Amino acid sequence: MVVEHQNKRRVIFHIDMNCFYASVEMAYDSDLKGKALAIAGNPEERKGIIVTSSYEARAKGVKTTMPLWQARRLCPELVVLRPNFDRYRSASKAMFKILSEITPIVQPVSIDEGYMDVTDCGPPEKAIELAENIQNRILHELDLPCSIGIAPNKFLAKMASDMKKPMGITVLRKRELSTTLWPLPIEEMYGVGNKTAEKLKKMEIHTIGDLAKKDVYELKQVLGINGERLNNRANGNDKRSVDPDAIYDFKSIGSSQTLPHDTIEEEEIKKLMVILATNVERRLKRKQAVGQSIQLMIRYADRKTITRSKKLQMFIEDKEDILYFAKELLELHWNEEPIRLLGITVQDIQEKQRIAKQLDLFTYEKEAQNEKVVYSY
Amino acid sequence: MKFIIQRDQLIASIQDVMKAISSRTVVPILTGMKIEVKQHGITLTGSDSDISIESYIPAEEDGNVNVEQIEEGSIVLQAKYFPDIVRKLPEKTVEIEADENLKVTIRSGKAEFNLNGQDAEEYPQLPKLQTDDSFELPTDLLKSLIKQTVFAVSTMETRPILTGVHIKLEEGNLTFTATDSHRLASREVPVSDSNTAFPSVVVPGKSLNELNKILDDTEEPVEISVTNNQILFRAKNLNFLSRLLDGNYPETSRLIPEQSKTVLYAKTKELLNTIDRASLLAKEERNNVVRLNTQGDHVINITGNSPEVGTVSEEIVVQSMEGEELKISFSSKYMIDALKAIEYEEVKVEFTGAMRPFIIRPANEDPILQLILPVRTF
Repeated sequence: MVVEHQNKRRVIFHIDMNCFYASVEMAYDSDLKGKALAIAGNPEERKGIIVTSSYEARAKGVKTTMPLWQARRLCPELVVLRPNFDRYRSASKAMFKILSEITPIVQPVSIDEGYMDVTDCGPPEKAIELAENIQNRILHELDLPCSIGIAPNKFLAKMASDMKKPMGITVLRKRELSTTLWPLPIEEMYGVGNKTAEKLKKMEIHTIGDLAKKDVYELKQVLGINGERLNNRANGNDKRSVDPDAIYDFKSIGSSQTLPHDTIEEEEIKKLMVILATNVERRLKRKQAVGQSIQLMIRYADRKTITRSKKLQMFIEDKEDILYFAKELLELHWNEEPIRLLGITVQDIQEKQRIAKQLDLFTYEKEAQNEKVVYSY
Repeated sequence: MKFIIQRDQLIASIQDVMKAISSRTVVPILTGMKIEVKQHGITLTGSDSDISIESYIPAEEDGNVNVEQIEEGSIVLQAKYFPDIVRKLPEKTVEIEADENLKVTIRSGKAEFNLNGQDAEEYPQLPKLQTDDSFELPTDLLKSLIKQTVFAVSTMETRPILTGVHIKLEEGNLTFTATDSHRLASREVPVSDSNTAFPSVVVPGKSLNELNKILDDTEEPVEISVTNNQILFRAKNLNFLSRLLDGNYPETSRLIPEQSKTVLYAKTKELLNTIDRASLLAKEERNNVVRLNTQGDHVINITGNSPEVGTVSEEIVVQSMEGEELKISFSSKYMIDALKAIEYEEVKVEFTGAMRPFIIRPANEDPILQLILPVRTF
């Protein structure tokens, strides 16, 4: 039976919520519908950055990561809201609930996108109908638009959902790749970032088709194992299965934030560290997790970025501990140049209920002492 | 060499001696069993060079004749075949005969086996122990001491000394102590003839396990004596010799907490059964962890939880409880082992906090001590 399943052509959906944060705000307050809306980290600060925006705002040239002042100049009528994560999370939960009513094989990738394996949910020729149903349910029940990509694997489904927005349904068939996927510029391929695109262009690869036809050996020379992977994907091959548990394999939880202006003021830096540690603590608590490494990221005014991490003796979860070790890293590695951005990440994450450490007769006293050092801080 | 022997007697002796024989040994002749025939009786010997066992069958005992038609001599027989042959022979008596070419004939009724023997001269001499520094202990007490401690030895070779039981005789008190560093078991008994100078030694847990299997539950005395690197247990018709472990046993007494913050008294069986039930949902993956919460003066709550399977919770009413409230997690396996070793109806459990060892003793203060290190959970 397992063999049969492997050989069977799979039908994978990639559901991608359109302008998710902005759409949720519009569903929440219908007065916002049809308006140029942006969600920005810190609307009061001049340097706040656009997290996402509605299509109406995008039409005026507003883009994600754009500073607020620039967006306002392009689109003076722009309505700006602070992000309301609780709202987005509950919308996301409701969306995934609808998906999981169709099949248990749903893999959430982030708050606003996920894969479904619908191979066993009916004949392949009915797949489009099924996608329409899902799209309509999400629209009618949650008042949220989404795009759905349909393909025989995750990579193609992801590319497909990106092709028509908003409220698109796109099918990518392997035999049609030469006309659908291959003409796309290489930057648009999922998995190709700026750096990779630069390298590929140096190899005269400008479209996904160029990549598909490129010699694997040459690609590996430049990109290592990733070169082979990208070439496979460009040819429409991706064996990854839809794994409902993948979301639980989180390895790290972090938070980073740009300062309103570059600074060497210790007070300001400390204040930001507290905010970041609090964020990380909140996320850890929500996931019922603890971590055993801590990482600090410092981006300087000249955009030079360093990350430094430390493996810890014990698991941490409280903001006091997170802050204590993050500060230790800061003191050790900050070269006193002006800082633009800071990030704190707790790594080697484990779900609390999965960890248990058997104490040792000959070392338990030391362990108890370690405990004290941290809590006395 | 020749003798005729009661088959049951021979089988019993063979079974004891086989405990020391291993098919994997560096000295080839040790895969065999030595049979030594004297007018007064027969001695069987097995050894894997760590443990050596001698079992003696007297020709005559309490007026019964066990062995007859004795012609003195000795031989070594393949332990792979000899025991099975004797067990399956048809009659109540067995005749064994060896000629000068080391050919051995085993007869019983109409069955006749011809085996190739080996020269007993080539079998290593067991070290002769001086028995001046020795003391005696009733067999059943020795068995108790072993059973109450040996399960706690380490099974890992990372700290070899912990794979043994520490035996110490001081000021008329004999103490057995074993720890794998996650739990510790110890028992103390007074010894009557206590003027003996007996060095503290560490006996491999494996040796004591085998010894316990061989010894009968009687009140007859076992004589224990020690040289530099060997310990001898001498019971009636049985010598059990074991190698000792080299090295210093860690000082454990100072690691045992002297004060406690929470003390509870409970029925041993009840506590054991509750933990056993909770352990059903606390398998392997997470060290068999169960959690104990105190609830008021007379109730404790035991819970188990396997993320993928489910949870279990059970309240048990204890005899009494004093001190601070407590939430502690520990290995159900260690707790079950410890409670089984208590051997009394009521136990006293003393805690000193969720991160520190706790102690389980019989409520009547008999010096059996079981100590368990908790598991740190989040």
